[in-house]
Amino acid sequence: MSETALADSAVRPGWARSLGARFSGLPVSYWGTAALLICAGIARPNLLQPFLLFLILRQAAPLGVAVIGQSLCIRLLSLDLSFGGVALVVSYILTSGYFPFPEPVLIVICLVFGAAVGATNAFFITRLRASSVIVTLAMVLILGGVVTAFSQLRAPGDSPEMLRYIGQARIGMIPVTVLVWLAALIPMALFLRLSVFGRYVDGIGANPRAAWASGIPYVRVIFTAHILSSLFAVLSAFLLVGFVGFGSLSIGADLALNSLAAVILGGVTFGSGKGGMLGPAVAAFMLMFCFNLLTSVGLGEPGKEMAQGAIIALAAIGYAARGARRGL
Amino acid sequence: MTAHRVRRFGRSGLGFVSIGLPIVMFVLLSLTAPEFFSLENIGNVNNQITALLIVALGQLMVALIGGIDISVGSVVSLTSVLIVSLDPSLAAPAALLLGATIGVANGLGVAFFGVHPLIMTLASMTFVQGLALLLLSGAGGTVPAPLILMAKSSVGEVPVAFFWCVAVIVGATILLNHSRLGLRIFAIGGNAQSAELSGIRVLTPRLACYTLCSLAGVVAGIYLTGRIASGDPTLGQPFGLDSVTAIALGGVQLSGGVGSVLGAVLGTITLGLIANGMNLLGVSPFFHAALTGVLLLGAISLQRRKVIGI
Repeated sequence: MSETALADSAVRPGWARSLGARFSGLPVSYWGTAALLICAGIARPNLLQPFLLFLILRQAAPLGVAVIGQSLCIRLLSLDLSFGGVALVVSYILTSGYFPFPEPVLIVICLVFGAAVGATNAFFITRLRASSVIVTLAMVLILGGVVTAFSQLRAPGDSPEMLRYIGQARIGMIPVTVLVWLAALIPMALFLRLSVFGRYVDGIGANPRAAWASGIPYVRVIFTAHILSSLFAVLSAFLLVGFVGFGSLSIGADLALNSLAAVILGGVTFGSGKGGMLGPAVAAFMLMFCFNLLTSVGLGEPGKEMAQGAIIALAAIGYAARGARRGL
Repeated sequence: MTAHRVRRFGRSGLGFVSIGLPIVMFVLLSLTAPEFFSLENIGNVNNQITALLIVALGQLMVALIGGIDISVGSVVSLTSVLIVSLDPSLAAPAALLLGATIGVANGLGVAFFGVHPLIMTLASMTFVQGLALLLLSGAGGTVPAPLILMAKSSVGEVPVAFFWCVAVIVGATILLNHSRLGLRIFAIGGNAQSAELSGIRVLTPRLACYTLCSLAGVVAGIYLTGRIASGDPTLGQPFGLDSVTAIALGGVQLSGGVGSVLGAVLGTITLGLIANGMNLLGVSPFFHAALTGVLLLGAISLQRRKVIGI
């Protein structure tokens, strides 16, 4: 035992040490959200009105849904950066008017498309052993290029009625979008906690080699995770298109980067096998609240980008340093 | 001999695909587009690929140690902004200093703190892009005349861009093949643990690679700003991924230890020929990104790794 630890144990009682360890082990998103709420309470108390908080939650819902898929991939030491491309195609299918089908059929087409993109990503990552970063970034290039070429910068149309309702309606004070987010988050969290698939995810994330050697269906799990991730990206795009009310060629452009930031802030780290679903969900809210707070104090888009970059870097360095300390 | 060895030639990573692809494209374009072989068009291709070549050589350094730097595009953008925002005598030194600082920050994050290179450079990319947009919200500004001359003039019939290319290729070759740093880079990329056990200090070369990559971004930014004679805060956006595509097409293994200057040059030429060919054949420029993506997928599919994932 080191001198510091000995001194610590002599001074602090056991319950305090255990409480301290528990708090220091919490994801950054919990601390960050609390700190931001306190800052807002001092600088911009209006932001804490329930109505505005629900509005921010509604803004955070598409990101929160995308984060579910991203966190699954990251727990498996993979990554999905193709969200922007998927959202773009979904927006195009739903709003371009080129597909003369009823709304439910369009939604099914989008889901099938999402599954196909996920399967393609997974094929390259698992069968051809290509880097998930490069594969999913290449996918964004392909999807974005094709959609932009086909749309020829033509103004897209309105989003389907059903999605507009989901994106904009409320039940009491609670936006329907937030309920959709919870409806995706809670079953997925329970599934990962209680199912064999969830155990596989934990095992592979903690030690891929050991998981492989012990007979866990490594490739199948990663394949499934990427398909699920793309399906969550499609669901996220539904919420975005419904919320905005019309299609756009820039829809979901920052979804991949923000989801990555939220997952890191939410306590999911590459290679540790640790991390839940609640931390990243809180981080999605935290990021949106942070952006709103920065906007309310007059910081423009560039300032927000800088803050976003700094937050990701500091959180990643913090986790890496904490992991290294524990490893020692 | 394994199929892997048949396809590739040693640690250079050069293979039939990386060498054959630009040759095939050259032949195809010569046959399908009569104006391709004109001196003017070849000069245009040279002008178009120079900035990408500089960035790709920087990316090569990072890739050889098993890293990736996607922030280099933002460094190009920031350089462009600084060139038109600061006093002409201070602009280039300030850009180089800032570029070196960004490179050191990336290197420290990755090599010292152990952050994944993608996460670290994604974060710095966002920060630096925000900074560039904060300093200059849109394209504009005045570029010093000597800089425009350095990027756009010709020596006889030869565009000055050719000399920029020769200079960076010679510099990168000396650094990688004829210096201790180069040897250490290949050793670390091959197996960092073995290199460390053999007495090589791993931290310094890694820091050097990220710093060199950012400095390459600064040089490319200076050249490009002179060429377009205007500052642009989003000038470098495609370079982060295009540089990765270029080196991947040139047979550079992104897992480290395998790659060459010649591979990076051939990969860049391939991308340049694709863009030029699509232009000459009248294909929609929007398909350029899609084709780059398809090529990137094709190139990395030929680089089967041992691990699955990131």
